[in-house]
Amino acid sequence: MKTMPPNRLDPSSPLALAVHQLMVNFDTVTALWDITLSVPSGLLVAIVGPNGAGKSTFIKAALGLISPVLSGNFSFFETSLDNVRQRVAYMPQRESVDWDFPITVRDLVVMGRYGKLGLCRHPRKEDWEIVDDYLEKVGMTNYAHRQISQLSGGQQQRVFLARALAQEADLYFMDEPFTGIDMATEVVMIELLQQLRSKGKTVFVVHHDLNTVEKYFDWVILLNMRLIACGPISTYFTPSYLQATYGKNYALFDQALKLSQQKQTGYISP
Amino acid sequence: MLMCFSASLMGVIVFLRKQSLLGEALSHAAYPGIIAGVMFAGSLSFDEQESWISFFILCGAFCTAWLGIKMIHWLQEKWRVPPDAALCFILSTFFGIGVTATSEVQFSFTPLYRRALSYLYGQAATMTDIHIVLYSCLAFFVLCVVIFFYKELQIMTFDQNYAKSIGIPVKKIDALFFILIILSVVIGARSVGVVLMSAMLIAPAVAARQCSHNLALFFVWSAIFGLFSGFFGNYFSVQFTEILSQISPHARIALPTGPMIVLVATTICILTLLLSPTRGLFIRFCRIAYFQYTSTCENILKSVGRIDPDRSFSLDQIKKTQQISSLYLRWILWHMKRKGWIEQDNSSFFLTQSGKARSAKIIRLHRLWELYLSTYLGVEADRVHRSAEEMEHILTPELEQELSLLLVNPTQDPHHQPIPPP
Repeated sequence: MKTMPPNRLDPSSPLALAVHQLMVNFDTVTALWDITLSVPSGLLVAIVGPNGAGKSTFIKAALGLISPVLSGNFSFFETSLDNVRQRVAYMPQRESVDWDFPITVRDLVVMGRYGKLGLCRHPRKEDWEIVDDYLEKVGMTNYAHRQISQLSGGQQQRVFLARALAQEADLYFMDEPFTGIDMATEVVMIELLQQLRSKGKTVFVVHHDLNTVEKYFDWVILLNMRLIACGPISTYFTPSYLQATYGKNYALFDQALKLSQQKQTGYISP
Repeated sequence: MLMCFSASLMGVIVFLRKQSLLGEALSHAAYPGIIAGVMFAGSLSFDEQESWISFFILCGAFCTAWLGIKMIHWLQEKWRVPPDAALCFILSTFFGIGVTATSEVQFSFTPLYRRALSYLYGQAATMTDIHIVLYSCLAFFVLCVVIFFYKELQIMTFDQNYAKSIGIPVKKIDALFFILIILSVVIGARSVGVVLMSAMLIAPAVAARQCSHNLALFFVWSAIFGLFSGFFGNYFSVQFTEILSQISPHARIALPTGPMIVLVATTICILTLLLSPTRGLFIRFCRIAYFQYTSTCENILKSVGRIDPDRSFSLDQIKKTQQISSLYLRWILWHMKRKGWIEQDNSSFFLTQSGKARSAKIIRLHRLWELYLSTYLGVEADRVHRSAEEMEHILTPELEQELSLLLVNPTQDPHHQPIPPP
């Protein structure tokens, strides 16, 4: 059952994330249009939307990883990202990485500590102890010295999660962590996320399985290029909002937007 | 030798980023710069001053190589040209400009023309102290960068987005990396030549990949192979030139060092691909052959033991059960005799005690597996035999123990035949 962590709806605690009029364009395609939202801390937030809705783009824009035409701003804990980079962790999609790279599981997880170390420093004994601790939490201690190319999909995801956890941040972004994994891994992961929430951390998860959103998460961000809703599951995870997210009612809007984009970048004559 | 060292270190990173053609593009793009440097030096009448000529050549090469890289990026970003097409286009265009310019130099600055040509295939024979100092500095600098920025290079090559997200200055380190690789290629082009320089980036890295799963060791092996190729390439080119000039002094053959270094590097590469203990093709072939040999031995023991372990058997009887030639069969029986599994008495063979024990063990594994398949996986009794034929050679003692625990020390298999005790 969901227990409320102490500072969840406390007005004096800073907002974990606030986005103001975010727009992201890639050449002829608008990925995100006029997103404005704010999320308090201490929640498990699901980012939900159809394919191509811009969910991964949203996270990458938040972390400053993309540099196309970008307007609008983000604030993390009411300040800019550069001031609180140590408090923000990222778990990318599994496909974004080449798993043939020559590295062991343990060395991959210790990468999570690099942010705290600074340039030209090597991991110390305390860092390795933290790494071993998180490897045990995800159940991968026996694989610590194995090459990552020898892992299954679920094991790779667990190792990625351990790396993000090793950053020991206050805010986590996770891009499709539950995609393509087995039941056992899913159980382990959701338990760890709930432990994070009970410590007052905020976790944003791009999630595809609509059946489990209510079970696992507290808040939801419904996204389909534009923001449909952002708020508690009980209020906004309803059939009418889902229909607006996944349905075809806004198809005309999307068409007009695409046409505008094409004309403005000179791909179609006016 | 030292420029091969820095090139091979940079080659590791280029290899892991899957940008191996970058070295090719860089060295070819540097060629017009070299010619420009030559023309510039010649027009200022610096014909004899070695150091100035080299300086101009280096600057020119660096400029055009850097320009080439920028144009490749520009083609990819603005014009949406696919990366491999952009690379190829810039590579060949720049090289073409360089070669055309060479023919211009041929008549206006003839003594420098030969110098320009030597950059095509490399010529390490004429090196002065200045060159050695320069190469040593570069090699030392590259080594320092790799050691100090090891973990940054590792994380940037593996997962660039993640590296950016934790605050690593990716753009700056990338720029540093590119400057170093252009320097390594441009300076190395003097020894190995523009045409073949990319091989010195990639061949040591490919060879080193077969030798290690650890990034640090990967760097070390690549550097060793680079040094090795550089040294022996130079050595052999000098030796063979001498030998050839002794054999036919009128032909005036001079072996350029570049191709020789590349040949040594390629040979090392082929050797590691074949013989590396984990992935070498030849080693794996040997292991496969050995596995098939032991399987055949065990099959023979099994087929004898199944009928009657105490009876003698002849060559022809065995030949009926195994699909192998009689020559191979004789060889195997001879080996089994040496191992003490069988004894020969004229033309018939007996199983020894150890042979009988081995045979019983194989039969046990075979029937345990059949029972496991039919009990726990629901496979029909007439289909389990095929799988067991394969698995009896594979099951280890630990797996055997687990199986007999799971099946609670069984005595009969699905075909109602007895399972020999362990």
